[in-house]
Formats: sequence, C-alpha cells, structure tokens
Amino acid sequence: MNCLRLAFGSILIGLVASTAAAQSPIVIGASTPLTGPVSHYGQHARWGAEMAVAEANAKGGVNGRKIEIDFQDNRCNPAEAVKSVTQMLSSKKYAAIFDGLCSSAALAIMPLVERAKVPFIVANASATSIAEKSGVGGNEWTFKVNPTDASMLDALVAWLDKEGKADNIAFLGEDTDYGRAGSAGFESALVKRGKKLVMADYFQKGTADYTAVLTKIKAKKPGMVAFYLIDADFQNGIKQWFTMGGGIPLTGRVLVEQVPKEILASGFLDGTTSVQPYDVSVDTPANKAFVEAFTKRNSEAPMLISFESYETTNILIEAIRQSGDASPEKIRDALTRTKYQSMLGPVLEFDQNNLIHNNAIIFGLKGGKVVILGMSKT
Amino acid sequence: MDWSFFAQLLLNGLVMGVIYALVAMGLSLIFGVLEIVNFAHGEFYMLASMLAYFLTAQWGFDYWATILVVTGVGVAVGYVLFEGLLLGLRGEAFERSILLTMGLSMVLQNGAVFLFTTNPHLLESKLSYQNIVVGDFRMPVARLYALGLGFAAFAVLYLILHRTRIGKAMRGVAQNRAAADMVGIDARAVSRLAVAIGIGLTGLAGAALAPVYAVHPLMGFNFVFKAFAIIIIGGLGNISGAAIAAVMLGVIESLAGGLLPLALTDAVAFLSMIAVLLLRPQGLFGRGVRV
Repeated sequence: MNCLRLAFGSILIGLVASTAAAQSPIVIGASTPLTGPVSHYGQHARWGAEMAVAEANAKGGVNGRKIEIDFQDNRCNPAEAVKSVTQMLSSKKYAAIFDGLCSSAALAIMPLVERAKVPFIVANASATSIAEKSGVGGNEWTFKVNPTDASMLDALVAWLDKEGKADNIAFLGEDTDYGRAGSAGFESALVKRGKKLVMADYFQKGTADYTAVLTKIKAKKPGMVAFYLIDADFQNGIKQWFTMGGGIPLTGRVLVEQVPKEILASGFLDGTTSVQPYDVSVDTPANKAFVEAFTKRNSEAPMLISFESYETTNILIEAIRQSGDASPEKIRDALTRTKYQSMLGPVLEFDQNNLIHNNAIIFGLKGGKVVILGMSKT
Repeated sequence: MDWSFFAQLLLNGLVMGVIYALVAMGLSLIFGVLEIVNFAHGEFYMLASMLAYFLTAQWGFDYWATILVVTGVGVAVGYVLFEGLLLGLRGEAFERSILLTMGLSMVLQNGAVFLFTTNPHLLESKLSYQNIVVGDFRMPVARLYALGLGFAAFAVLYLILHRTRIGKAMRGVAQNRAAADMVGIDARAVSRLAVAIGIGLTGLAGAALAPVYAVHPLMGFNFVFKAFAIIIIGGLGNISGAAIAAVMLGVIESLAGGLLPLALTDAVAFLSMIAVLLLRPQGLFGRGVRV
C-alpha cells in the first residue's frame, strides 16, 4: 500500500513539474544599447522585438508557453555586451540571445554563445565578419538575419556600376567595425568590377568637426562620396557638408530620416544613391500593416532597426515553435531549417554561413524627395 | 592641391581654434585662481548648448538674445557652483577637487541623458545654413559669429584682468593667495567671480556653437579633453597662453586633418601636449605666473 502511495505521489509530482515547465515562459535574452550615443536605435530594436513577442503571445504563445524578452544595456560597448551576456548565460534561463545591435558588441558576444551553446540571432549589426565567422565550419550558434555590409554594398555598387557612377568614389566612415566593414565592403565590391576607392578616411566616433576632411574630400574631386556615419556624427557631417557647398552626390549608408528637412528640401542631396535593408515606404500590404501597427503602438514610425528587430524576433519565435521543447540546441537546429515570409517579398532562409539574403532597397534623392529606385537581392 | 585648399584649411583651423579657445579660457581662469581642474567643464558647455537649443527651437529666442541669456545663466550657475561646491576646495584639496568635479560631470551628463535622451538635435535657425562665399572660400555665418564672439570674449577678459581693479585682485589671488589676503583682497569674492566668469564663458561657447554642431548630452566630453590639452600647452592658468595655444592647435589639427588620415588629428593634439610637458613643463607661455 505504501509503495502504491509512493508511486502515485511521484507521478503526481512529475506531472505537476512538467505542467509547470510547460507553462513557464520561454525567455529570450537581449543585449542592446539602452543608454549611450545610439540608445535611440536600441529603443527601436526593443520596440520591434517586443511587438513581435506581443503578437505571438496574443495568439496564445508558442506551444502553449508565453514568450518573454529580457533587455539588458550594452551601451554599444563590447565590454558591456560581454558583461550583460555573460550574466544572462550564467543564469541558464535564456533559450536564445537576441542581437547586440552594434557590430563590435555582436562580435564580442559570438564566442560566449558558442561556449555556452545557446543560439544568438543578430538583427541589426551589419559587419560582414559576423557571417564570415558563422555557420558550417565556424560558430554554429550565431545566425544573422540582416544583410552584411558586403552583400548590401555589392548590391549598391552593382547598381552604381550599371549607372556608370562607380568609377571615382571617396569613403568617409567612423573608425569602428561598422565603418571599417563599410569601406571593406565597398573596396571588395569595386575590386570585383576592376575599380577601387579613390580615398578612404576614418574618424573617431563622437568627432564634432569634419571641415578638414570634407575640404580634403572636395579637393580630390570624387564622383561620389560614401558616408558611413550615424547619429550625431551623421548630423554634424551632413550639415557641414551642406555648409561647405558639397556639390558631390553621396552614396553609402545615407540616413535620410536624419537629414535636416531644410537640407533635404533644398535638393542639395539630389543625385544621392544609397542602399538600406528597409524603407518605411516599401509598398507591400505586409509592410503597410506593420508600419500602421508599430506607429499606433509606439507613437513613432518604425525605422530600419525596428523592422529588422521585428522580423528577426519573428524568425526566432518560429524556430522556437518548431523546436518543440525550446531547448537551445533544438532552437539552433530549427533555425537552420526555418523559412519565413519577409515583408519585403522573398521567403527567407539561412545559408551555410547562417546568413539570410533578403532584398535590399536601392533609393535615390530627386527634387528633395526620397525615391525608391529598385530592390536588389543581397 | 592648390593654394586655395591650404587657405581653406587655415581658415577652418583659425575658426576651430577660436572655438576651442572659448571653452579653454574658462577652464584656464578657474584653474588659475582656484587651482581646481574642472572636469565638469564639458558638461557645462553641453548644458549651455542644450539651453540655447531649447530657447531657440522651443521659445523662439533669436541668436543674440540666446547668447545673452545663456551667458547670464552660466554666470549665475558659476556663482552657485562656487558657493555650493567649490568653496571648501583649494590648492591642498587638489585630489578632492578632481573627484568632486568628475562626479559632478557624471551626474550632469547622465541627468541630461535621462531628461533629454541621447538623441542629437540640430538647431535650425536662420543662421544655421547661411554661408559667406568669396571665390573658392566658404564659411558658415554661425562659425564667423562664433569667431567674432571668441575674439570679443578674449579682449574683454584681457581688459578685465589687466585694466581693472577686480582683474588685478584676481591675478593677485592667483599668484599668492596669502599675500592677497594680507593686503585686504577678499579672496572668496574674487574666486567666486572667477568661477562665474569661467562658467559664463562656457555658457557663451555653448550658445555660440549650438547652431554649429549637433546638440546632445555626450557632446562635452571630446571638447573638454581637447581643452585640457590646450591649457597644458598654453601654460596652466595662463589665459592668453590658452587662447594662443587653442588657435595654434586648431590650425595644426585642420592642416593635419587635410593632409594626413583624419584619425591622426587627435593624436596631434595630445602628442603636442606630451611634447610640451617633456620640453617645457610650465607650458609654452607659462612664466610661473598665472592668469
């Protein structure tokens, strides 16, 4: 009789435990800049990911469990990224790690997730080396959804070459993995077509005055100037370029939403041809619905970062669904076979470098307005 | 490369140097009189730019009204800063002054991030996009105004220090506080005025440069480190030396940025500082007499 009670009790405890496990939330860890110079982007990354999670939870969660995403600050600093992700990994409660946002931070996180055997899905960091180090024969725990600088710039240079504008390009970028990856991407895309950069220069992030280097660039008389600047650096650079008379069309990553309205409307930047993984005006029903829902939820229109974080989180959630028990190893295996319909058109899947090849948007400026010139597969 | 290229670099460097001087003179004055290195100086510059941004963008103040109000607020903040925090710090409490001003810097910077986020703002006034174009040369009007204000500030400060009784008292306190006390100079009032003028100058710099650079809570950091290099090169506490060193550094940086990789321009500033420390520890214009 006692044996029967013991067996019954054990089964009951087991059932309760397994039910509790089934109902406990699946937690995704996220390391992103919530303070510091690019915290605005970190906020958009958070909004995009949280919107995807909220939509999944509104549909009943994944395999009967709710999803939670826990954001920690990395200030766009590799050391802070390592600290936050190490803490997350040591707690063992995270099914996967999301993003890093800055390339240097994502590159610093990669060895940690490889050692801990937890999948790491990159939404925004664009350094080509992330994909080069991932997938078969490399870091099998890192997956990159947004295009690399190399693949995007290849699409851009192909476009410029077709238009006869790729012969004489000067490059100005921040001296970080982001800027260096930009110049390397341009260089390799140009070399493939028998051309090269006429000059490349880098500045320390946070530099306020660009008059000297812009004078130098103007004196070189390039056909186009590739900018790889973001945030305050971009605003200072573009304003000083305007006050110096510019006169040379821009290319590279031109952040149109950060160009002062007066400069944009003046037509000063007409002739600019740039590439972005996303533009809010992409004319697909899915994108229109996304823009509307995002704006309603956050009182601010989405930007590239929010789009990338939203789609990346959806891909991760789909992989968690396919994994069944949401164990890190099964999520990783599920990611390699996950297919996802992007708002930009193509069905996405990871290649052998754990990299997705979505469409890139080639856009230009005409009459002071942004015009989508076309899409090009990365 | 033709002569107009070098001439444009020289012109850019001259303007940049005077902009540096605006920030460095206040720092130098405070060190000269109180022997306090104000690590929060960059944050006062940032707050002045933020205030100028809000006055212009939100409340419609014009350029000159903004300059006057922000400089006035800077002077008032300097009075409060001295009476509230710096009064007990002088000479013998050098380490405490460093810790206190560094702490203040962090509080001000993070407070600004908390209140305003790190989003950069561009001050879009009539001045923001006006240029003077002469042949191949271009110069934004906002920079020319900053240049004029820098020269005017230096001239006024020079006259105050060398032609007025209060200026002489300031120099007296800077040179020998005990002796100044003995001849009846109110060292506390003089020091308070020095801090007020120092922070007022920073307010002037912040307001003058708000239409030139993007305004955000992290903007003070780079400027103040450059200003430290300048006051060391010019001679600690020597205001004329700081002004001359600032202009020299602006020109050298501009030429270096135009002729060498841009990343080396900061190295130029700090290598100059190291060279001066090794070859002439009192600074290029230091004569052992401050202010």
